[in-house]
Amino acid sequence: MKSLPPALLATTLLIFAGCAANPQGPDVIGAGSQLEIRQMQTREYDTLDKRMTLRAVISTLQDLGFTIDRADLQIGSVTGTRLSAYTMRITVTVREKGDHQIAVRANARIDEETVDDPKTYQDFFVALDKAMFLVLQKVD
Amino acid sequence: MHRSSALMRRGAALPLTLRVATMLLMLVNSGCESSSRFPEAALRLPESSLAIRSEQSRMFAASSETEILGASVALLQDMEFNLDEMSGPLGVLSASKVVDADSTAEKTGLLMLDVLCALGGSGNCAAMSSASDEQKIMLTLVVLPSLSRPGDYTARVTIQRVVFDKESRVKVSEQIDDPAVYQEIFANLAKSIALQEMQ
Repeated sequence: MKSLPPALLATTLLIFAGCAANPQGPDVIGAGSQLEIRQMQTREYDTLDKRMTLRAVISTLQDLGFTIDRADLQIGSVTGTRLSAYTMRITVTVREKGDHQIAVRANARIDEETVDDPKTYQDFFVALDKAMFLVLQKVD
Repeated sequence: MHRSSALMRRGAALPLTLRVATMLLMLVNSGCESSSRFPEAALRLPESSLAIRSEQSRMFAASSETEILGASVALLQDMEFNLDEMSGPLGVLSASKVVDADSTAEKTGLLMLDVLCALGGSGNCAAMSSASDEQKIMLTLVVLPSLSRPGDYTARVTIQRVVFDKESRVKVSEQIDDPAVYQEIFANLAKSIALQEMQ
């Protein structure tokens, strides 16, 4: 029997090694550096008013076209969904940090993919900055 | 030009197994590689956001936060929504309903098209079959004390819908941005507050 040429054999092995395996770990744990992800998704604000911050978050999500699925003052979290050509889900958490700051963290998914583009989160925080300003200036 | 044609000639002369291997490798790359498919402005505030915000918001006078929240829940029930989630301290009400996607007028129009088509002698009259089956409407109503006018309350509504075809495939997925819808909701909320306070 004639054996397979080495190049074809190597390529076939590569295909099976690369694509056939479907590890569950990254699906559950997520990919990427924990610290980098946190930094990209988090911004601090000089206030201690958790309720007002959550109000600004909800208002921002509505400005961005989301409907709110869940909102919890005690836990300090809001989850929203936006339907368009794709489905985007976002969870924003608000927690006190130190004696004079509130840390806001957002993580978003588009369809089955995690949003890991820093610019997208920057855009979100630019929008939240405006809402925080309005809330702190007591503008509805 | 000369150089590239020489390369092409050399490529054509590659052994068959090497060419097959190259094609397979290219297939592997295209199949396994994950590419970023994020829309560029996914979380960018649209320029029209202020106009949309004012269209979706209205100020109401009410005797208390509990009163206006109660009136809002009653309004959602009047509109045949089910309440999915409620957060009193944040004034958030999330509701949804599944309804027929086609208005009676639209269905009548499609039926008329089929009738006219049949009268014309055409055998392929299936306008009615293009009627969508159902849609899920999701609504968020946020009611909070006004920041600028103590004693008043700001209500803001956002609505989205997904329309499914007869095979349950998503046909349309969109935000409801018709100002008339929001105006009617706010007119009904005003009535609901009045009814609530009469009770």
